[in-house]
Amino acid sequence: MIRKAIATGLAPLAIVLALTGCGQESVTESPTVTPAPVRTSAAPAPTASVDVPVAAATPSPPRRAVPPTSVSIASIGVDVPVVDVGVEEGGFMELPEDPAIAGWYRWGSDPTSETGNTVISAHVDAPGYPIGPFSRLRDLGAGERIEVADADGVVHPYVLESVTYYPKAELPVNELFSREGEGTLVLITCGGAFDSATGRYQDNVVAIAAPA
Amino acid sequence: MRKTLAAGITAGAIAAFGLAAPAYAISDTTADLSVLHGIPDTPVDVYVNGELTLDDFQPGDLAGPLDLAAGDYEVALTATDAADASDPILGPVSVTLEANTSYTAVAHLTEGGEPTVTPYVNDISETAPGEGRLTVRHDAAAPAVDVLAGGTPVIENLANPEEATLDLAAGTIEASVAATGTTDPVIGPADVAVEEGVLTIVYAWGSLEDDNLDLAVQTIDGLHSAPDGVPSGSGGQLAERDAMMQTLLIVGAFGVAAAIATSAVVVSRKRAER
Repeated sequence: MIRKAIATGLAPLAIVLALTGCGQESVTESPTVTPAPVRTSAAPAPTASVDVPVAAATPSPPRRAVPPTSVSIASIGVDVPVVDVGVEEGGFMELPEDPAIAGWYRWGSDPTSETGNTVISAHVDAPGYPIGPFSRLRDLGAGERIEVADADGVVHPYVLESVTYYPKAELPVNELFSREGEGTLVLITCGGAFDSATGRYQDNVVAIAAPA
Repeated sequence: MRKTLAAGITAGAIAAFGLAAPAYAISDTTADLSVLHGIPDTPVDVYVNGELTLDDFQPGDLAGPLDLAAGDYEVALTATDAADASDPILGPVSVTLEANTSYTAVAHLTEGGEPTVTPYVNDISETAPGEGRLTVRHDAAAPAVDVLAGGTPVIENLANPEEATLDLAAGTIEASVAATGTTDPVIGPADVAVEEGVLTIVYAWGSLEDDNLDLAVQTIDGLHSAPDGVPSGSGGQLAERDAMMQTLLIVGAFGVAAAIATSAVVVSRKRAER
């Protein structure tokens, strides 16, 4: 970035040079000249009143995400591969069909992001598949360790803070999918009563874990 | 059904996150102002309300955003050796900034090649999950154009200083600009990344006649929204198994109760027999 604006409070030398460049005299006498009288003098080139960032209007390359590739929770025997997922029809988070594979919400943060939650979700069950490993999230206890490996081969440890059942309509999506704040790990699956008419569970089961 | 939850933390789970910030907010009293220089070959000084704000501002450069109190501002562009705003080469132009609004003021050429300033309002409303927003602004000394993505017109007959905005699935599009009704690029093709939750503003600037048409790009992020939900179970086997376990437990409990009752009876009978 090129900063061209000159802020107040510059080193006196710089101001002397600027004024000299304009052919003004009577400025070499004091190296401690302050910006204020300079601005009120009659003819010299003024300095900018505020420091405004200026840069070429060219696109900067987007940050490269480092996708999670697996979630391991030894205490409940979970070790699932993780793939990138986005949004499905209707604005819901997309999920791998197989409950034994979890999906990372690729539009949100990843474990290497400076801020924001890493959201990983898997079906608890699906027609034609065995019950998924995330069915055991509900058995997690506070303080238990969760490890997330990423595509660069780095393992990120987390410690469980809570497991919560939310009725699906009350899932706090803005908080869970937040891209600000501490890099919390959010694991989501389904639970509660199953409505066989709609083929849907009543609740989401949400495990929250903080970086260890 | 079991609800084995981490003890005592359930109620605090939401509180721990605090309040979620709105998608993108500036403030109720201030506006964001960016300034783009789109007049070829003419470095300028920019004065706002008579104060030098941008010194030696170069064509193709983007300044800001400045967080300014809502209200009226006078913007004037002078030669870079000017001592003040008294002899502008463009302006003064009066710009009204409303609170909680994002503006980009663009110094550019009209279709006829005259310098002008156009203040645009940037659409920073929330984007749908998985989508980004693309705004295209015609600020070049050139006739109306079509904007093509992958060779197909997506914006048609855009004239200086008009703009058009599209919400698109996040990804990279191959964008080019052609005279209206044609597909032969006068600018591009160039890859334009439409990032999720980001407003990407592409400016066509310069002059067709002088053969210095160019693209400038500005991005504003933080417009994203969360998915509507997470439908993470559709089989029902877990619920079935839970129900079965429940039944077994109940049956088991009955069995135990029955056994206790039986043995009690037996015991009392035995006692009675004595």
